[in-house]
Amino acid sequence: MTTDPTLTLGVPRQARSSGAARARPVWAILTGPYALLLLFLLIVPLANVALFSIHRYSPTKVALPELTFDNFRKIADLYYLRLFARTLKLGLITTVICAVLGYPLAYWLARVRPRLQAIGMFLLIMPLMVSAVIRIFGWIVILGRKGLLNEALAALGLEPVRLLYTDTAVVIGLVNVFLPFMALPLMAAIERIPPSLEEAARNLGASWYHVFCRIILPLSMPGLISGSLLVYSISISAFVTPALMGNSRERMAAQQIYDEVLVSFNWPSASSLALTLMLLTLGLMFSALYVTRRAARLERRR
Amino acid sequence: MVIADGIELEVEGLTRRYSPQVTVGPISFDVRTGEFFSLLGPSGCGKTTTLRCIAGFETLSAGAIRLQGERLDDKPPHRRDVGLVFQNYALFPHLNVFDNIAFGLKLRRVPKLEIAERVGRILRLVDLSTLTERFPAQLSGGQQQRVAIARSLVLEPRILMFDEPLSNLDFKLRIQMRDELKSLQRRLGKTAIYVTHDQTEALVLSDRIAVLSHGRIEQIGTPDEIYERPATSFVAEFIGSSNLLAATIVERRGEEATVVTERGLRLRCAVEGQASGEGAEVAVLIRPERVQIKAAENGGTPEDNCFPARIVTVTYLGEDLRLDLELPAGQMLQGTLKNTGAARDWVPAQTVKILVDPADLRLLPR
Repeated sequence: MTTDPTLTLGVPRQARSSGAARARPVWAILTGPYALLLLFLLIVPLANVALFSIHRYSPTKVALPELTFDNFRKIADLYYLRLFARTLKLGLITTVICAVLGYPLAYWLARVRPRLQAIGMFLLIMPLMVSAVIRIFGWIVILGRKGLLNEALAALGLEPVRLLYTDTAVVIGLVNVFLPFMALPLMAAIERIPPSLEEAARNLGASWYHVFCRIILPLSMPGLISGSLLVYSISISAFVTPALMGNSRERMAAQQIYDEVLVSFNWPSASSLALTLMLLTLGLMFSALYVTRRAARLERRR
Repeated sequence: MVIADGIELEVEGLTRRYSPQVTVGPISFDVRTGEFFSLLGPSGCGKTTTLRCIAGFETLSAGAIRLQGERLDDKPPHRRDVGLVFQNYALFPHLNVFDNIAFGLKLRRVPKLEIAERVGRILRLVDLSTLTERFPAQLSGGQQQRVAIARSLVLEPRILMFDEPLSNLDFKLRIQMRDELKSLQRRLGKTAIYVTHDQTEALVLSDRIAVLSHGRIEQIGTPDEIYERPATSFVAEFIGSSNLLAATIVERRGEEATVVTERGLRLRCAVEGQASGEGAEVAVLIRPERVQIKAAENGGTPEDNCFPARIVTVTYLGEDLRLDLELPAGQMLQGTLKNTGAARDWVPAQTVKILVDPADLRLLPR
């Protein structure tokens, strides 16, 4: 104990200053750098795109200082409707195939012992570590007109198949890269389901099929939804895979945007397409989130 | 107690090999119709493995399981007709109480009206009729337990099995659920197999108990037989508390034998037709509550099985008092007394006289 008044006064002051340090907005320090990055690399360019999309196109000056909604009205053309329909369709097919392939994989990863799980996860995310161009080149070698697949078919005396530069090839390529985005959230969800629930269901008379439909599927729904949203949104905005493996006339939306930006220099039109694609993606994601939130709320209230 | 003569479940040479070092079995036992049969043992003794083999979650390495004479071990788990109540209950979190209980009925394509009727009946039986809409997370431990039992019972399985169902409950609730479980099983007359490491649970609930250790059955018997006449030192030590003294038989006359412990105590014991003759090395079992403690008296003629002793410690257990006693030659012995007024007069360092009835001693193989 001390009787020095300056020291006893010093203690509360120190305490106050450290309290102020605690009150400092830590979140701003933590999120600040990324927020700045987003502002300059996403928000500003996006605002620019939005501006372009409502300006009139000029073959000589790119855009005229004249406001118009023609760029958006044009999307109602059959050509663009088909473009978006094909994009959404390929995204849907990719998502469904990823879910079908992802479930058994995710289940195995979730239930296998830790060592094998680590190896399995490494193999699963391998495609993401290989450059897109190299990976697609590999597919071209396999699927090409005189590729490995057709040579194997020929060796078996079968007709060759035309796969490369078709929608099928695009879906194969997309599934190949995006499968981890489905399998990993599914795996996380399945890991949270205690194995005893499966055994209880078996004990009550459920076959494997019923265990999947009534236990695994409903309880891993959050994983399926987040995996599907991820795969769907990155599939419909995919560019490299459809550009290198797909038909140049039967395009996906991102290819069309690329063409209009760098080939025909119609930036207003490209901007309107980009915004439409983005709004479609966001709309889908939010409605999916809304539906699941609502379902979860209803579940709790029931 | 209703025990028909019929044998419901027959386990014959059940063996589950995990590795050459880790093996459960061979285990054999019969469970009679309507009987409450417990598998009791410390963790890792193979009791849960045995249960999981019967339920079909583990495959047998050797042996056979028969339910009413019919081979069970080659059927998949969902076709076995044996109900299992899990340790953590394993209720389906996304289904409410009604749907949890109706789960098995729906799989069996029972008509809707009948499902409602049967679930309603079982809910009344376990006293949960007001909670049908609740989800498992909204139930207390005891209620979850009852839902788990109801979910199995509603399917009217031929056998109901329990895997340590009370171990997740707190003490008071555990005792309450234990008594509920017992009265439920008696009322339904359902054959039950109960796995536990808690000797009191097994003694209270069971018609018969199989005590397991290291993947083998040590003894099968009624609670009374297991406690009063344990077959091995392991059973004696595992059930209740016990004094086990290493000794040698020095004299054997009919139903009576005299043994000398390693510390030189001479004890007279009753023997029930055991083969061990003179010279055999045995363990003498003395239950602490059978050790009689009396005030020391000077002089008097020395009796059989009567020794002077010094109280080393008195441990207060509430209902009971535990006395650590030192006998001549440094032999330690534990005794327990009911916590009565007279018993509370004993204090450490006091000299007393202890007495053991020959009939209260058991000779066990060493």
